[in-house]
Amino acid sequence: MNPYILTILLFAMGLGTTITFASSHWLLAWMGLEINTLAILPLMCQSHHPRAVEATIKYFLTQATAAAMLLFASITNAWITGQWNLEFMSYSLPTTLVTVALALKIGLAPLHAWMPEVLQGLDLTTGLILSTWQKLAPFCLLLQINPSNTSLLLILGLASTLVGGWGGLNQNQLRKILAYSSIAHLGWMILVLQFFPSLTLLTLLMYFVMTFSLFISFKVNNSTTINSLSMSWSKTPIISSMVPFILLSLGGLPPLSGFMPKWLILQELTKQSLAPLATLAALSALLSLYFYLRISYAMTLTMSPNTLLNALPWRLPSNQHTLPLAITTSLTICLLPLTPAITALLTL
Amino acid sequence: MSLPKISRVPASRLLSAVHDPRWPLRSAAPLAVPKRALTQSGYRRPGQPREDKPPWQRIKFDFSKGLEGITKHFKLLRQEFSDRLVGPEGKPIIEHMLEQNRVIWEFRGPDSLQEWTLSSDREIGGQSEIHLKLGKNNETCFLYGTLQSAPPRDGETRYSGYCSMRSKQPLVSFDRKKHHDWSSFNTLHLRIRGDGRPWMVNIAAESYFTHQKDDLYSYFLYTRGGPYWQDVKIPFSKFFLTHRGRIQDNQHPLWLDKVNTIGFTLGDKADGPFQLEIDFIGVCKDYAHTEDFAYEVYKRNPEV
Repeated sequence: MNPYILTILLFAMGLGTTITFASSHWLLAWMGLEINTLAILPLMCQSHHPRAVEATIKYFLTQATAAAMLLFASITNAWITGQWNLEFMSYSLPTTLVTVALALKIGLAPLHAWMPEVLQGLDLTTGLILSTWQKLAPFCLLLQINPSNTSLLLILGLASTLVGGWGGLNQNQLRKILAYSSIAHLGWMILVLQFFPSLTLLTLLMYFVMTFSLFISFKVNNSTTINSLSMSWSKTPIISSMVPFILLSLGGLPPLSGFMPKWLILQELTKQSLAPLATLAALSALLSLYFYLRISYAMTLTMSPNTLLNALPWRLPSNQHTLPLAITTSLTICLLPLTPAITALLTL
Repeated sequence: MSLPKISRVPASRLLSAVHDPRWPLRSAAPLAVPKRALTQSGYRRPGQPREDKPPWQRIKFDFSKGLEGITKHFKLLRQEFSDRLVGPEGKPIIEHMLEQNRVIWEFRGPDSLQEWTLSSDREIGGQSEIHLKLGKNNETCFLYGTLQSAPPRDGETRYSGYCSMRSKQPLVSFDRKKHHDWSSFNTLHLRIRGDGRPWMVNIAAESYFTHQKDDLYSYFLYTRGGPYWQDVKIPFSKFFLTHRGRIQDNQHPLWLDKVNTIGFTLGDKADGPFQLEIDFIGVCKDYAHTEDFAYEVYKRNPEV
């Protein structure tokens, strides 16, 4: 892509998110979301492949629907209360509608059906931007509104963790697995939103770090299916040995960093007398762990029997920038001992 | 004393002498050109009048047919659920990870012929013929017929002379589309015995937009006429994009995760009989083939 156009689009994406962060008026927040959506669309279809264009159209339609629903809800709230401020949503109908609109924006179950198809049509870098940066603005809004219906968020959260777990079980395609992983993690974030919002933010940031590592590892290996990962040990042996740790961190196993948000969420849910819900969420994490383990099984723990038939690829030095991957992998693996410091930061 | 009956409307017989009572206005009387059908569906052979029957007269309603359909679709749905417990596409994941070859279509019984659809220019009024039967010992499929390039004399069609065999779209319960996932493979492997004619292999992938429904990815299949079987391996990177038979300028590789159908077309303008025997159609993974796409896409008007 022309570097000037790319710069404009990336700046526009940043602008959209920043506008939403900085806004206290619903119209400005909606405007930021729209700028964000429109800026990523050319990035998604830059390869001009029909599947990429299909993914772009599906993404545009869902995001436009969500934005329209959000605008409708904010106008309804302004009509009833006379307030355009984000925090002053006191009636249940607009608040519920806003929650549902934002759930569609980020891809929470049962409004998740677009996510695997859209991610499947994109290349790994754009998929990464979709899974990480595009979630910031809607979450910023979710954190600011006062939820009127406590059970709605819990239902959305639990459904997302279960759907994310079950949906990813029978997938061969890595991008679809990453989509279902995203849905499951968003479910965990939403579960604790109304009780401890800072924990939602922590989970979101931890998810960003972990999923960034995973996406970039797959990009370095240039693989989009589980089968193609089985050849990665000869191309990038160090990354092949680190990826199981990233996957187990995503699965939420101690002593890796991914355990931290899950542990704190389960603790908070138990404090709120929602122990059965916490149990169900923890069990659904096992489903996700199964397909993470399957990827690490294919990549690192087993040697494909087919290697003897092919020529070994030349181990040329890679031109890819792996410093961000190194940083995020270290954070993904080693951050758990800093939990007390992070918890103290949260409660500031 | 009864009042005389005053009729406001003239007697119908009188009216019919003037004009048809169903058409109060003379100008709305039916014209010689047949009016447009209520629903347009299916192919209309050029030169033929359009079908005027409304949908409820075209469908044959039958209770037993309905019951059969319900049992069939629910059985398929149950099969789908139980397949999901085993793994993707009903096979355990270990099979997906280890497989290097997969036979998709092999012709071992009369049921295998039901998965294929034949078509020729007979549909548009031409004279080509195509037939499909099982070969010797029910081990292969035998596609044969006659090609005639004489265009039909309907005043519209200019070219003719094609015969083709296309696989049917796989369906799951309730007639939903299922796609072949060949993303673990990179080569198409055919075992065929032809008569020296050049065929085209056409693969149709799933498309989203209506104007992409005639998009096919094609490649050539040159057959030898000999009595020996021919193993043809075509990498998927070689398939180029065509739309309604015309090669497109903007090419892109075929994505293998949602393949719908495969077809073989003969249109080499050589009139006469033809034969093609197919043993199996499979996909395989050639580790030595690392090409992503065989056709470079140059910028046609590069900025200087």
